[in-house]
Amino acid sequence: MIVNKTNYKIANAHLTSRLKQTLVAILSVTFGISMYIFMNSFMTGVNDTQTGLAFSTLAHIRIYNDIPKDNTNLFASRVDKNTLVNIRNPKVIQYTEGIKNSDKILNLLDSVPEISGVTPQLNINVFFRNGATKVNGMLSGIDVVNEDQLFGTAQYVVEGDWMDLNRRSDGILLGSGLAKKLSLHLNDNVVVTTEEGITKNYKVIGIVETTLASVDNAKAYIRIGFARQLISKNMGYVTDIQVNLKDYNKTVELSERLGKMTPYKVEPWQEANGQLEAANKLRNIIAVAVSLTILIVAGFGIYNIMNMTVNEKIREIAILKAMGFDGKDIIQIFLTQSVIIGILGGVVGIILGYLVSLLVNHIPFKIASLETLPITYRTKDYIMAFVFGLITTFVAGYLPSRKASQVDPVEIIRG
Amino acid sequence: MENLALSVKELNKYFYDPQTFHVLKDISFDIKKGEFLALTGKSGSGKSTLLYILSTMDTAYEGSLTINGTTLTGKAQNELAAFRNEHIGFVFQFHYLLPEFSALDNVMLPALKLEKKTMEEIEEKAMANLKLLGLEDQALKPANKLSGGQQQRVAIARALINEPTIIMGDEPTGNLDSKNTQIVFDIFRELAVERGQTIIAVTHDDDFAANCDRVLELMDGKLIHQ
Repeated sequence: MIVNKTNYKIANAHLTSRLKQTLVAILSVTFGISMYIFMNSFMTGVNDTQTGLAFSTLAHIRIYNDIPKDNTNLFASRVDKNTLVNIRNPKVIQYTEGIKNSDKILNLLDSVPEISGVTPQLNINVFFRNGATKVNGMLSGIDVVNEDQLFGTAQYVVEGDWMDLNRRSDGILLGSGLAKKLSLHLNDNVVVTTEEGITKNYKVIGIVETTLASVDNAKAYIRIGFARQLISKNMGYVTDIQVNLKDYNKTVELSERLGKMTPYKVEPWQEANGQLEAANKLRNIIAVAVSLTILIVAGFGIYNIMNMTVNEKIREIAILKAMGFDGKDIIQIFLTQSVIIGILGGVVGIILGYLVSLLVNHIPFKIASLETLPITYRTKDYIMAFVFGLITTFVAGYLPSRKASQVDPVEIIRG
Repeated sequence: MENLALSVKELNKYFYDPQTFHVLKDISFDIKKGEFLALTGKSGSGKSTLLYILSTMDTAYEGSLTINGTTLTGKAQNELAAFRNEHIGFVFQFHYLLPEFSALDNVMLPALKLEKKTMEEIEEKAMANLKLLGLEDQALKPANKLSGGQQQRVAIARALINEPTIIMGDEPTGNLDSKNTQIVFDIFRELAVERGQTIIAVTHDDDFAANCDRVLELMDGKLIHQ
């Protein structure tokens, strides 16, 4: 809609003659838009932190050998429904554990462009022993370089050096809680016993503290080659292959593709951690609901103010109509006012939203690995806020404008 | 026909609220160009109602209305607005200027809406009109800073800006003292004589009516004198 100069001039006169009201209207838009930006930035920040924290131990996709599903009726696929089958006390005599020839899969994964990193793991349930103290836990045989690339584990090493794992064949890194339970310090010895009863002595060359209890209290790291030796497995043997993607939201689709290429279970993170995804989605819904509510309230504010203006100027509207201004002109005059309010409020709101986000981003919040409250700055949020703000002011301004355009000049002028 | 500014045939008008009331009854008359005409009658006689029908703002009537040879009965609101803008000038009892605008801006408004002249031409014309009404030194003052008489003269200057064929006034002097009434009356007289503009003014000022070319008197919705 091209606004005619004269109408714009009248709109402008209305806005500037009631500066206080105009400012209040602009402020309500500003507030709505800045809150929209802040809420969304904050929620995205929380989501990103939460996901980042989760992905410090969890890969986007995990490939492993699932235990055979349902072995209670092996005949099910062989006989028809009318045949009764009676099996008593069934036992699985043999199945392959882990992934025997991981190189084949690793090569396959190398050729997928969406993948940003892959690391093989050999996870074994073991007992850690120091004197009489015995703790059940997980010994993780890892590829030192790739593990760090995927999970950034090296940054959680509080004592010792992550890369030492590559240098010492008897070196082990313990979770901080685990070390405490076993009263172990750097350079102390720890005895590891496997389920099969094999025992080996390791030297503590580092302590890891991730703030995740499941890791700190029960996990230890050694190099994957030495883990294979410990349980007498061949070179290609792994229990898990952890895969990270460039975009962790695309896991489901890629998992399906990979699943068709390997005989193993390909599990996207959403499947293993439904609660994480649910929490993300719920937070997004809350953010959108709250910010839209604020915008709608701002819209009511504008509606109110525009309505007041129309009532206040009703004699002027009547005289303009008497002079030959038609309904379209009147709508233009009042809609221009609310759009100007929307644009001004929007621009100021974007700035304020950014400042509020910046401020909140500096509030100390020292829980888990956080230092301050998390904020994610996304251009998308700012654009959306501006667009929603404009739509709100447009709708809120249109209704009073339409009312103004329908004023009957005779009724007003005659009184 | 050429010479007719306005023509009304068999006009009837009803009010329906609170109950059906026959306000104007079978009114027919013609007005020639350049006539200075007063519309009188007691309050409630329907004279204002008639004026607003003539002004094209009130469209709820039976009968027909022709101005300058154009039949306006049954036209859409937006067409009527455009017609008013070009052919009819208004002066009201309460001056109804836009208070935020200067006197000059107020006078210019209808011409800016008409968009037939450039900004400079409009401004020049508006200044000339203000001068005609003796307001040239008030041109840049905001309308709400002017006195009642000055405001009414600004309203007249505004009514003249598009050189309308007809100027209509609803008690144009009803709110003015005798000195200002005389000024406004003289201006109307001058416009009718010198520019051939038709003037229709609703009034219950008997002196004002007595000095007009012609008086239409209404009583209980009937034209009793024309």
